[in-house]
Amino acid sequence: MAAAQPETAMKDLHQPSESATGGSQFLTFNLGEELYGVDILRVQEIKGYTAVTKIPNTPSYVKGVLNLRGTIVPIVELRTKFGMPTIEYTMVTVIIVVVVKEKVMGLVVDGVSDVLDIDKKDVQAPPNFGARINVSFMNGIGKSGDKLVALLDIDRMLSGEDMQGVAAAAA
Amino acid sequence: MSNEFAQFQDAFFEEAAEHLAVIEEGLLQLEQHPEDLDLLNKIFRSAHSIKGASGMFGFNAVAQFTHKMETLLDLLRNGQAAVSSTIADLLLKSTDCLKTLIDAAKSGTPVDNETVQRLTVELAAASAGNVPAARHASESAKVAPAVPTGKAQSYAINWTPPEWLFQRGLDPLQVIKELGDLGTLSQVAVDVSRLPDLAEIDPERCYLSWSMRLKTGKDRQVVEAVFDFVREDSVLTIEECETLSVKREGLESGNEIRFTNDERPSESGAAKPLGEILVESGVVSRAALDEALAQQKRVGEILIEQHAASPQQVEQALQKQRQQEATSQSKKADTASIRVDTAKIDKLINLVGELVITQSMLSDLGTRFEMSQIHVLLERMAQLERNTREIQERVMSIRMLPIGTAFSRFPRLVRDLSAKAGKKIQLILSGEETELDKTVIESIGDPLTHLVRNSADHGLETPEVRLDDNKPEVGTIRLNAFHEGGNICITVEDDGRGLDREKILAKAAKQGLIAENEKLSDDQIWSMIFKPGFSTADKITDISGRGVGMDVVKRNIENLSGTISIKTEKGKGTRFTLKLPLTLAIIEGMMVRVGRETYIVPLLSILESLQPRPESVKTVIGKGELINVRNTYLPIVRLYEVFSLQPEHTDPTKGILLILETEGERVVVMVDEILGQQQVVIKSMEQNFRKVEGIAGATILGDGTVGFILDVRGLMEIACREAPLVA
Repeated sequence: MAAAQPETAMKDLHQPSESATGGSQFLTFNLGEELYGVDILRVQEIKGYTAVTKIPNTPSYVKGVLNLRGTIVPIVELRTKFGMPTIEYTMVTVIIVVVVKEKVMGLVVDGVSDVLDIDKKDVQAPPNFGARINVSFMNGIGKSGDKLVALLDIDRMLSGEDMQGVAAAAA
Repeated sequence: MSNEFAQFQDAFFEEAAEHLAVIEEGLLQLEQHPEDLDLLNKIFRSAHSIKGASGMFGFNAVAQFTHKMETLLDLLRNGQAAVSSTIADLLLKSTDCLKTLIDAAKSGTPVDNETVQRLTVELAAASAGNVPAARHASESAKVAPAVPTGKAQSYAINWTPPEWLFQRGLDPLQVIKELGDLGTLSQVAVDVSRLPDLAEIDPERCYLSWSMRLKTGKDRQVVEAVFDFVREDSVLTIEECETLSVKREGLESGNEIRFTNDERPSESGAAKPLGEILVESGVVSRAALDEALAQQKRVGEILIEQHAASPQQVEQALQKQRQQEATSQSKKADTASIRVDTAKIDKLINLVGELVITQSMLSDLGTRFEMSQIHVLLERMAQLERNTREIQERVMSIRMLPIGTAFSRFPRLVRDLSAKAGKKIQLILSGEETELDKTVIESIGDPLTHLVRNSADHGLETPEVRLDDNKPEVGTIRLNAFHEGGNICITVEDDGRGLDREKILAKAAKQGLIAENEKLSDDQIWSMIFKPGFSTADKITDISGRGVGMDVVKRNIENLSGTISIKTEKGKGTRFTLKLPLTLAIIEGMMVRVGRETYIVPLLSILESLQPRPESVKTVIGKGELINVRNTYLPIVRLYEVFSLQPEHTDPTKGILLILETEGERVVVMVDEILGQQQVVIKSMEQNFRKVEGIAGATILGDGTVGFILDVRGLMEIACREAPLVA
């Protein structure tokens, strides 16, 4: 019996990353004209944008924190995170609340679009732009009809030291 | 062991701890009032509960030991023995021993058998009536268990228990099990011949009798002692014999149920191993089974043989397994639970009911709202607010326990201390019913113990000195707890010699804590004793005086965001006052504004706030700003600089300066405006984000947005760094 245990433990470890890549349903959202997708199982809720409290001495893409029914949730502005120009928030600007390694976080995006079924065979590896563009937090490019969806690996994107690590000499 | 069982076990340990507390408290009171029969009954009941429950869970060591205590208690209760200080002392020691036994059962660690044995014999001796010889008995007993008589003796035991056996909640199997622990028990047989037809059975009567053989190295008395508790009305014969034949009429009637010690199903109710079943059914012989078992190898050995894994790898895996076992065990010990008065819960349920009604009234109003009904809306909103506030208070009160649980250890402590130090000490407790947060109660135990020890050792004088000073011979230590504002105050007070001003000053000067002729206020002098390594005790005793302690006490109290203060008068006594928040989840805060941001400063760290005159602000090296506060220059930290904010004022004379203190260091923080005082609920930043420098936590402000609670220590650290921070 004891011999079987490590094996199951290994399987459990593989589970999350497998579902992150193999999950077939994605919540898609817009940033400008571009379409992005996150694994729907990682999305806790979608809420309208409300004012946040800025956290001193944190990277600029950390917009601030929000009171989500009594818990303090950090909010990341994806445009800033991707180095895109910021825009005025509108009626459709939303916060997608996701769970990253047991921590709850919010992503500010221009608007949610759709829930798409994307088959595994319709997902291709992230393109290589060399050093010009960092695609390390993309899982791949999904195709749905004539739409192109950049599938995000939010674990890699949001689990860095800035979001979860110990506060080193900040910045 | 199954999970459900473990759950009941937790409950048992929790209850046992409570019973132990009752026993200890009762015994201490019993010393003062030896004739109090109610008290004795209370102690007896608690001991009995522990015995019963521990037996049920298979903690036999606990059950047996409690049984011995119970025997003595029963004698006391029946007036067959009198309560003396020797007996009380013995019982107290036994309670301690019982505590360690229960702890051992909980953690699965081995126990100090010698103490258990010694106390067992002492208890038995006391029960037998030779109390004065208890000392003697304890000495002989130390040797007795270690050196068995050598020869194994066989006893044939026939036992017909009294009919009232079940009525008194006794378990005959317990007795047999106890016998089994003495040696090898064989040919255990029960005689059911006296058993009437089912319809006529009185379930509270015992119709059974047993016969068995016991092979043991122990003396006959030891064997007899097992039956002590059931001896009354029993028909018991214990015969030494060499032959193996046992013949009794009852057995020949054919109504025979047999089980030998090693065939008894295991306590956890697990199924028998396959081999056992095969042997029982006669398929294989015992010898064949043993041989087969000897050939059986462990998984690791097989893997090594098949070269599937190296010995090192297997060893590592085994170590990992052991670690996992250890951690799972420690995890189990950590689960904390709380007992709540049902009345509190009922009240809460009522309140939630009201909340639901208010909510439905509001939504009803919302569906067909007209502006003319605005007053109804406001009224219902007010009702909702009342409901929520009350629910909040009630929910918080669930975590609240009376502080008596923390006080309960002190009567015993003071009793022991007074004996050790040769002083006469009286302990007066008051305000035990004052409620405060469970976590706070758990953390103040140690600091309080330290203060009480200090009072007993340093504060109070010896009886002779006290008589010389025209004081009552018996010194008094007073522990009191009461609510004051949003805080709880605990005072530890003695009527001893008080703190010695000159001695403290001399010592402080010697240790270089103060300048030779520095002028200090009384409070400043008294606070010297909180400095690390400071002790004015002439001699170091094993109770206290090593100079470690008061600083730890202070630090512990500060960790709970509390304060400690001293009042003392030479020759009259000393009083320590601890001021603690009711709960750790809520702090009293001062809301301040910088630009458009609101921050909360813990009220405890604010010494004062002021708007400086231009001439009191000075600079050094061109930019380092200092402010003169009553002739001390303190550095100014501009909060907007540290946090990179857009302030309203950049001129210190226009803004507000807060003088903050933490761990004895002071700093002046500049903000735009003070908004007011408020109680805030601390929320964790780390739960979903990470630690942010200079921020202790977050809270939800009145408008639903998040506000940050400043970490004064962190602010100082940021301000001290040379390079400004870049966001």
